[in-house]
Amino acid sequence: MTDAVLEARGLAKRYRRGVWALQAIDLAIPAGGITALVGPNAAGKSTLIKTWVGFEKPTRGSAAVMGLDPWRQRFESLAHVGYVPQSPSLYDALTVEDHLAMAVQLRPSFDRAYAAARLDQLGIPRSAPARQLSGGQQAQVALALALGTRAEILLLDEPLASLDPLARREFLHVLTDAVRSDGATALLSSHIVTDVEQACDNLIVLGVGRVLLHDSVTDALATHSVSATPLPDAVASFAEADGSLLTLVRGTADRPATLEEIVLGYLASARTTSIAA
Amino acid sequence: MTGLLRRARLSIALQRWELALITAGSIGLAVVMVIVGNQAQAIAAAHPGCLDPNTFRAGCEAAMKEFDQVTDLGSKLLYFSYGAPLGMGLLLGVPLVAREIDHGTASIAWTLSRSRIRWLSWRLAFVAIAVAVLLALLGVTSERLAQALQPSLHLDADFTWYGRRGWLLIVRGLLALGIGLALGALIGRQLPALLVAILVSVAVFTAVSLGMDRWLESASVPAPFGVEVPGGMQLGERIALPDGRLVRFADLDPNQGYNIAIGPDGRVYASADANGVLSDPRGQVVDLIVPGSAYPTFVLRESALLGALALGSAAATAFVVRRRRPY
Repeated sequence: MTDAVLEARGLAKRYRRGVWALQAIDLAIPAGGITALVGPNAAGKSTLIKTWVGFEKPTRGSAAVMGLDPWRQRFESLAHVGYVPQSPSLYDALTVEDHLAMAVQLRPSFDRAYAAARLDQLGIPRSAPARQLSGGQQAQVALALALGTRAEILLLDEPLASLDPLARREFLHVLTDAVRSDGATALLSSHIVTDVEQACDNLIVLGVGRVLLHDSVTDALATHSVSATPLPDAVASFAEADGSLLTLVRGTADRPATLEEIVLGYLASARTTSIAA
Repeated sequence: MTGLLRRARLSIALQRWELALITAGSIGLAVVMVIVGNQAQAIAAAHPGCLDPNTFRAGCEAAMKEFDQVTDLGSKLLYFSYGAPLGMGLLLGVPLVAREIDHGTASIAWTLSRSRIRWLSWRLAFVAIAVAVLLALLGVTSERLAQALQPSLHLDADFTWYGRRGWLLIVRGLLALGIGLALGALIGRQLPALLVAILVSVAVFTAVSLGMDRWLESASVPAPFGVEVPGGMQLGERIALPDGRLVRFADLDPNQGYNIAIGPDGRVYASADANGVLSDPRGQVVDLIVPGSAYPTFVLRESALLGALALGSAAATAFVVRRRRPY
């Protein structure tokens, strides 16, 4: 037994076409705070989140939400989960108010007043049909629907991907505020490191279906440095935007690494390992 | 607003265009059937005694011609009521789950509801009620029209316009709804699911029809050849052999009945000479009839069969929805 709210043990997922989306994932995410799940496209972020939501059945290993199997005990498990999908996916024909009403019908414990208050704070008209809302507003409605469940765990599957910078910031502000005030646990997947840097407490770097790094943001920043010259025992070397090579190391080097450099270094290490294999 | 009304409003709002189209179509068809039925009744009332098809009366030609035209139109309307359940069921059933998967809304709905079966029940209940109510309207108006077109018709003891009137329309609509629902959930894409559902529905209804033909045949009785049995359904001719057996023409003669000759008395002869003299009598031609009194039994049987298939389709949908991904 652990105090983790989200767990994966040897979790692997292979799709029908034979592609392994996840390979032996071992993770334990403790209660509280926001954890960023970062990785490039096809790293397995969505698959991991969808496994915890109960949409995907593990091929091997196990996943757990509050100790419950999200596939076999979906009903019980979903009681603890609020989910925001990659695209807001609202009902075009329904108004925002209708979405809240529907949420109450589907989940009697849904906190309509809380969700409505969140939307009102953002000035999102509840009488407006969903199709008339901007992408950012639709994402906020999807977030309000997840927050209204008052679930202990929020799983957010790249909700920022299609939003403009201002909408991304607003979304993260609402999320951070809700998680801090409610004491919930949020797992936010993204491939944009800079967006999550300010909001997240923990960082998971996922690459080629494996966990490359799992640490608190503070510790990750404190324990990683970069050097302009190759060093032994480096995590990996990667090219900067200007083409120069930068080496990420655990320990002290030329200067402390930024979060983006840490992520890039671990993704580069996965690529090296993958090529070597 | 009560919870039930709110549920109904939301469920209807999610398929409002299909429901509007189907409601308008059904009400339109029902109104036209009522108008045509009233026209037929008005002609019959204005010309009492003129419309008996077995009796010719001088001075009735114009009235009979007018009545025939109305009857022709009314029969066509009853064909529409035959196809309406299929169209309504598929148009509402296919998108119910498939659109949610197509548009990605199933991801949110299935996590909010926790129980996908509960979600499906909510979505399906009001749509099924709408289908049943609209087809009940068509069922009632089609019977009224049939009665007006054929005043001697005993609605509960007559196979005339079987399957195009009455309560059978409702269960056929519910089965089409179930087939559309199941295939929509399985395929998860609206247009491909609609195309497949049309094919599958035609196949299922054809199979049911063939099965019912067999069932009807088992309940048929021989009746004198060429004599109309009011309310009965004629399934074809048979030859009654002297030993009491009923055989087909092809059974009697290996050459598909080409050497068989039927006399004016309805007797079957195995040969005829050049002068047309018949010899070697084999049996008597009879009509195979399902008496009209069996009508309620067969409506009930077909309703039960279609109802069971509709429930099976709903159960299959529930199984698919429980297992499948929402995308």
